[in-house]
Amino acid sequence: MDNHFKRDCLLVLKDKLSEGAIDRRTFLTGLVALGAYSAIGAHSAKAGDGELVVANWGGDAVPAFKSAFADGFGESAGKPVKIDGSGPTKGAMRAQFESGAVRWDVCDADPGSTKALGQKGMIEQVDYAVVDKAKIENGFAFEFSPANYFFSYVIAYDAKKFAGDPPKSWADFWDVKKYPGKRTMFKWMSGCLEAALMADGVPADKLYPLDMDRAFKKLEELKPHIVSYWDSGAESQQLMRDGEASMGLLWHTRANLVETDTGGDVSWTYAQGIMAASGWTVIKGNPAGKDVAMQFIAYCQDPARQVALLEALGSGPANPAAHALVSDKFKRLDCSSPENRAQQVAMDSEWYAANSDKALERYLAMVAG
Amino acid sequence: MTTTRTAGTAGANLITQILMWALPVLLLGFYVIPLLGVVSWSVTQPVAGLGNYARIVEGGDISSVFLRTLRISLISTVATVLIGYCLSYYWVMGSRLRQTILEICIFIPFWISVLVRAFGWLVILRDNGLANGFLMATHLISEPLGTGRNEFAVIVGMVHFMVPFSVFPMATVMRKIDRRILLAAHGLGASPAVVFAKIFLPLSLPGVFAAFVMVLVFSVGFFVTPAILGGGRVVMVAEAVFVQMFQTTNWGLGAAMSVVLLALIGAVVAVAYRLLGVRSFVD
Repeated sequence: MDNHFKRDCLLVLKDKLSEGAIDRRTFLTGLVALGAYSAIGAHSAKAGDGELVVANWGGDAVPAFKSAFADGFGESAGKPVKIDGSGPTKGAMRAQFESGAVRWDVCDADPGSTKALGQKGMIEQVDYAVVDKAKIENGFAFEFSPANYFFSYVIAYDAKKFAGDPPKSWADFWDVKKYPGKRTMFKWMSGCLEAALMADGVPADKLYPLDMDRAFKKLEELKPHIVSYWDSGAESQQLMRDGEASMGLLWHTRANLVETDTGGDVSWTYAQGIMAASGWTVIKGNPAGKDVAMQFIAYCQDPARQVALLEALGSGPANPAAHALVSDKFKRLDCSSPENRAQQVAMDSEWYAANSDKALERYLAMVAG
Repeated sequence: MTTTRTAGTAGANLITQILMWALPVLLLGFYVIPLLGVVSWSVTQPVAGLGNYARIVEGGDISSVFLRTLRISLISTVATVLIGYCLSYYWVMGSRLRQTILEICIFIPFWISVLVRAFGWLVILRDNGLANGFLMATHLISEPLGTGRNEFAVIVGMVHFMVPFSVFPMATVMRKIDRRILLAAHGLGASPAVVFAKIFLPLSLPGVFAAFVMVLVFSVGFFVTPAILGGGRVVMVAEAVFVQMFQTTNWGLGAAMSVVLLALIGAVVAVAYRLLGVRSFVD
């Protein structure tokens, strides 16, 4: 049922891109009745003989990963790659490890989650003799997951309504007098605490560790003006496109889609955007073995392949050498390029590894309360 | 001749026996045993004890998720059964033409996906949607009523989804009611209202009970409709369990919530059973 939800969602809203959280609910139904293990098996690709299974978040990310990474690796390494779009959530990865039936060789996962699991001994440490640290943006070669691409939480706004003086900061986002209309923010918290703190005047370089009390106070303040806490990227797009919200915290990939869809009636800015990394991760006991998995990760670091992913998904390359190869048409989407990055702050996955469970519970209680 | 018949009966008996045992075995293997696993998680993770259950009843955010779920489920179940009852009555007692029209009205939404229906309601109910647009254009209201993306919208969406499910069991029972009893009561001088209250309603209660239980069980597990129509704010138990399982990986708490939900449904069904005084689903 939930799988249909995502698929239908994509169809109904004519998505061209797909993003992270969209597939996080895939296994709920089975889970409640049967417990996690059997549910995990239901939709997962199984590693066959000599196959490498790469898990990502479904939708258009499946063909994008296939053409950018999988087909090429299959030919050059003689190991066919299968993409499984069922969503390597923290819970799903933990379930695979604890059941002893690991089905995924490489996961496209959140570095905060993988660090938390890695500290419990569930994740392989990255072999930086095979994976090249120099091909990863400085500060993102994590112990358990090297960055594979970047995306950003940005301000999208009604460009017709705010044509004279478009918003440039989270303080503007919170200013409902100067910028009237409803707002939309992310239901799953990432980026929202940072936005609240910047709106409250915390300098971008002093965000971490996040002052939760202060952030939540600020979030409560905006709550009456939130039309919807969006759950899927498609929903955020619809809210902006139909004018239900005059401003939103969106993924930059989605913001860009709305801008194209509306012919510029909705626009967006990197100003004070919160740039986050997604990382490659190998669960301990992966079927194809650690070495092949590391080779695959190293293979994907190639600048041309990173640009191919950008062109398909809109994600920023992890390899700094890739930016030079980005054509003009895609320069705006390249969130990790030096020009664009200068306007943004980098999300600290270490903070999320240590605090996200508690913070998310508090955030959802705030949203629902 | 006799031998053949005996052999045939024995074979049939064996098949009957196998079929009879298949269901309990399947239930045991695929439901009861995994469920016991879930129960054991709830008292062993992250530490042994009843800490997870304490968290559910202590009055914090998890308690309010349960209260919200119960409130929404009960309101939408009662509304669904009431609407469904009227529809069933109209359907069963109507002329051939009226029956056909109603069948179309009940079946067509039944075939449309839950997702499309939720989006449909969103288009109607949201601030710049059809309902508010119409009321504002006719100057009946000056501000949008705030009917979209909240608990109200979720309940509307859920009721719309579940009405057909409630019609079937109630209509089945209503069809079985002997019309001659109604005629007899009428002939003895009872008014239509008395005939309905004293004869038709009590006889149709098994259907009401079946519909109530089915719709309630459906509604406590709703996920898609609240997610779309609730503006992210209407977090019900199913979604909260998902968060504990996949986001925060606090499996013990997620398991405890599932167990409590199951127990609550059992309790509500038992109370309904008592109140309605019904012995079985179909009389």
